[in-house]
Amino acid sequence: MREVFVAGAGMTRIGRRSEPLPELMADAAHAALAEAGLEAPDAIVVATMNPEEFLGDGNFASHVATQIGFADVPALRVETATSSGAAAFYAGFAAVAAGLRQAVLIVGGEKMTHLTTPKVSELIGRSIDPYERAYGATMPALAGLVTRSLMSKTGLGQREIAQVAVKNHANAARNPLAHFQQAVTVEEVLESRMVADPLRLLHCCPISDGAAAVVVTAAPSRVRVAGIGQGTDTLAVRHRRQLTAFTATRMAAREAYAMAGFGPERVDLAEVHDAFAPFELISLEDLGLVPPGKAGRVTLDGDTALDGRLPVNPSGGLKARGHPLAATGLAQIVECVWQLTGRAHGRQVSGARHALAHSIGGLATNNWVTLLETTG
Amino acid sequence: MIAEQIAASRCPRCDMLVAPPSTYCPHHPVLMQPVTLPGVGEVVSFTTLHTPPQGFRSPLHLALVELDGGARFVCHGADVRGLRIGAAVAIEAIDDIYYFSHLGAMERARLFWRRTGRAGDRVNAIARSLAKRVWKGRDRAAS
Repeated sequence: MREVFVAGAGMTRIGRRSEPLPELMADAAHAALAEAGLEAPDAIVVATMNPEEFLGDGNFASHVATQIGFADVPALRVETATSSGAAAFYAGFAAVAAGLRQAVLIVGGEKMTHLTTPKVSELIGRSIDPYERAYGATMPALAGLVTRSLMSKTGLGQREIAQVAVKNHANAARNPLAHFQQAVTVEEVLESRMVADPLRLLHCCPISDGAAAVVVTAAPSRVRVAGIGQGTDTLAVRHRRQLTAFTATRMAAREAYAMAGFGPERVDLAEVHDAFAPFELISLEDLGLVPPGKAGRVTLDGDTALDGRLPVNPSGGLKARGHPLAATGLAQIVECVWQLTGRAHGRQVSGARHALAHSIGGLATNNWVTLLETTG
Repeated sequence: MIAEQIAASRCPRCDMLVAPPSTYCPHHPVLMQPVTLPGVGEVVSFTTLHTPPQGFRSPLHLALVELDGGARFVCHGADVRGLRIGAAVAIEAIDDIYYFSHLGAMERARLFWRRTGRAGDRVNAIARSLAKRVWKGRDRAAS
């Protein structure tokens, strides 16, 4: 297996965007290519979760490639629900690692804000098991079941969970590309509208548009891909024995650490899939970044804050940077690359050498862990 | 109401039970065998959805229930007032849609009576249940 490097990274501002999705993806792609000093890649991997239903467009790999000006470059599309961006990164990585390609452009994006919230909720909900969906289960509903079980089993309280949202909003306020630019308080989180008891509105990520892109190459650059892991679980939540840990994350982390040859103790910062605030706490323990049962405590103590021992979601996370579905896994990698190369202006973690990106597909049915390290 | 039977299936390799029945085991490429399970179980978790998807009325109560036998099952409920994780519930079908409802003390006692065979087992089961409740109460008081 050849070594693979991230030579360029780019993304659009996340939020409510009026431009068509292919245009947003072109902006992110050209930014990544410019940084890599490449006019054209050897191949393109496109990540979109559901453009057929969000936009009414199919054949999206060719659609995007043509829009960027690469109708002559081989393109394919990858989809694993909400972790599609991370899955596309794996596909691009694998092509370079195998020696099939020298430089691959990976670009992900989603556009949803032109639809009503119930419609978006329904479309995202199609990644849920059909039987559970027939009972009205949406992502927030399943996350509500997980959260209540978590609180009952671990004694995790409202303040610890709310603090995740408070921290991530504070980080996003320093990120000019984030969907939300304002801080929130614990009280505001706890007084926000109930969505799926005990989850409230400010525990949940927003509906966002946006795109992110990276270029991976065989030619050395400042950031190396140290390891990638994929983990899976049953589509149906009722087929799982436990709700309070995600098997798919644990499996992905094991694989990624094994490939990297180092463990969680070397990770300096992490971008974690906090589509719902309690998921950050579950994931910190699943990833081995925090000892079992300690995620709430370390969050309250500020260990995961920007100036803490292990900054988590310096970008603002899905919670506040925003969650344009298939862009998210790549936006996490873009943030890690910027942090590792000293370009996360306004929110720079000093001296970071190892970064982790964690992406959840569906209700943790198809998860990814990507480890990046500096080469300098 | 308690006599409701839930259609389920069992994996001949790992004994996993799923409800409703599936053709293949989620973890093994083998055909599952049909079984039925009694419509009683324990609440694993529950939620109330305040903005349910199209076609559902707000508030929408959902519960994940572990049936006696081990299969977990998603169902609706009319009410979640006073409901707790671990609570015993009965499941019944109305127009092919499954609903959970709380079990009262009398129904729970009857269930114990039915489930345990000999008199000695009955006494043991009731004692275990009481001990578990006291233990759980102590946990709550401590936290």
